[in-house]
Amino acid sequence: MTREEANRLLHAYIDGELDPAKSLELEAHLAENPSVRAACERLREMSTAIRDKADYHAAPAWLEARVRAAIPAGRKDASARPTRWKWLKPAGSFAMAADWLRPAASLAAVALVTWVVALGTMRPGEDERMTQEVLASHVRATLSNRSYDVASSDQHAVKPWLSARLAFSPPVADLSASDFDLVGGRLDYIGAQPVAVLVYKRRQHLIDVFVWPVEEQKAGKTLTRDGFNIEHFAKNGMGFWLVSDLNRGELEDLARLLAERSAAP
Amino acid sequence: MLATGSVLLHETDPVALHDTDPVPLHKPLSEPKRRFEQWVLPHFDAAYNLARWLTRNDHDAQDVVQEAVLRAYRFFDGLRGEAKPWLLSIVRNTFLTWLQINRPADTVGFDDGLIELIPTDEDGPEIQAARNLDRKMLNEAIAALPVQFREVLILRELEDLSYKDIARIADVPIGTVMSRLARARRLLAESLGPTANISGTQVHK
Repeated sequence: MTREEANRLLHAYIDGELDPAKSLELEAHLAENPSVRAACERLREMSTAIRDKADYHAAPAWLEARVRAAIPAGRKDASARPTRWKWLKPAGSFAMAADWLRPAASLAAVALVTWVVALGTMRPGEDERMTQEVLASHVRATLSNRSYDVASSDQHAVKPWLSARLAFSPPVADLSASDFDLVGGRLDYIGAQPVAVLVYKRRQHLIDVFVWPVEEQKAGKTLTRDGFNIEHFAKNGMGFWLVSDLNRGELEDLARLLAERSAAP
Repeated sequence: MLATGSVLLHETDPVALHDTDPVPLHKPLSEPKRRFEQWVLPHFDAAYNLARWLTRNDHDAQDVVQEAVLRAYRFFDGLRGEAKPWLLSIVRNTFLTWLQINRPADTVGFDDGLIELIPTDEDGPEIQAARNLDRKMLNEAIAALPVQFREVLILRELEDLSYKDIARIADVPIGTVMSRLARARRLLAESLGPTANISGTQVHK
């Protein structure tokens, strides 16, 4: 990587927008070039200064009240729907072109509803359901070769990237001294909420650490499903699920380390 | 759960559903205002913050936001994906319309022109870190940035949006978001003078 390219990529890097391969390349470059590293630090400082000190202009309460009042209560076209279902619909031109797919889509939707209702009546325990969801997420990420959205061994890059996209700030520990290397993070959707996934690596094993806020404390417990080991515990307001093909003993080590480091600094 | 399913069916094939399923299991879709308030108005502060930084004064920001939210309500059906970038793109477009009517001379600011070609400076003397910046100076320096740089900076640093969302709001490719953001930070560092020398874009050896 040339110095010029490194300088150009610094912005995307501090913004958590650099793709995995380039991040690693840039980090290698930073390690060797103190002046580029210093530039990177100054950029971060500038970014932090703006976030901390620039005025955030919240709307005056009376303005929101006035605007709410100005919104007409009824409309001719009353088909506004929450958008979270939109993704279930084939997008744009595809939907138009493939009219013949519509009956099929309806059938699929009926099948889905049946399945959802069936699931509802079966009601596996909360933990069992979470276990299946995190395992599915881990397998999906491994199969699609997309284990992380942000690649970085720097917890100071991964944490803000995740915090910026979630309603909570997950604890991200640097455990490289214990031979668990942070390789990145991604977002996923577990138990009907967006969660953080930290990806650690030991030898060739990737370990997904799912983190989201919970209220209760839970002692560690180890499970095995389909050849994967799963660790679960909850501490300091965060629930942790670890999933990997790493052996049980080592996964327990990681769980212990994470539990020790989970307290907010 | 059933209500969920029926919305889904309706979404997929409204006509067939009408024929085969005369009993509406879902709540009638006649509460657009409530839905709008629930989905869009949580981002009212973000809308105001953007409008305030674009117009640089409270009065105009109020006008722009009010108009933008009413526009958003009219186009609510067009909402795809997340509400926040969608609403902010409407705020930005409303601002552009407002600008054309009220400050036609300023609209040239949105033309990218030679921006990407401006040569970068050499590394200046390193003095004080950005963390020691004076709050007032910083706000004034941001307000003084040309509008196309100001908006990407505000969307990135104060609204914490991704490049993708910023690209959607500013209606430019992601590459342009990156170069504008780099330029914005550099201009800011320059205008803040020696108290905040950053050189993320310097290329000299």
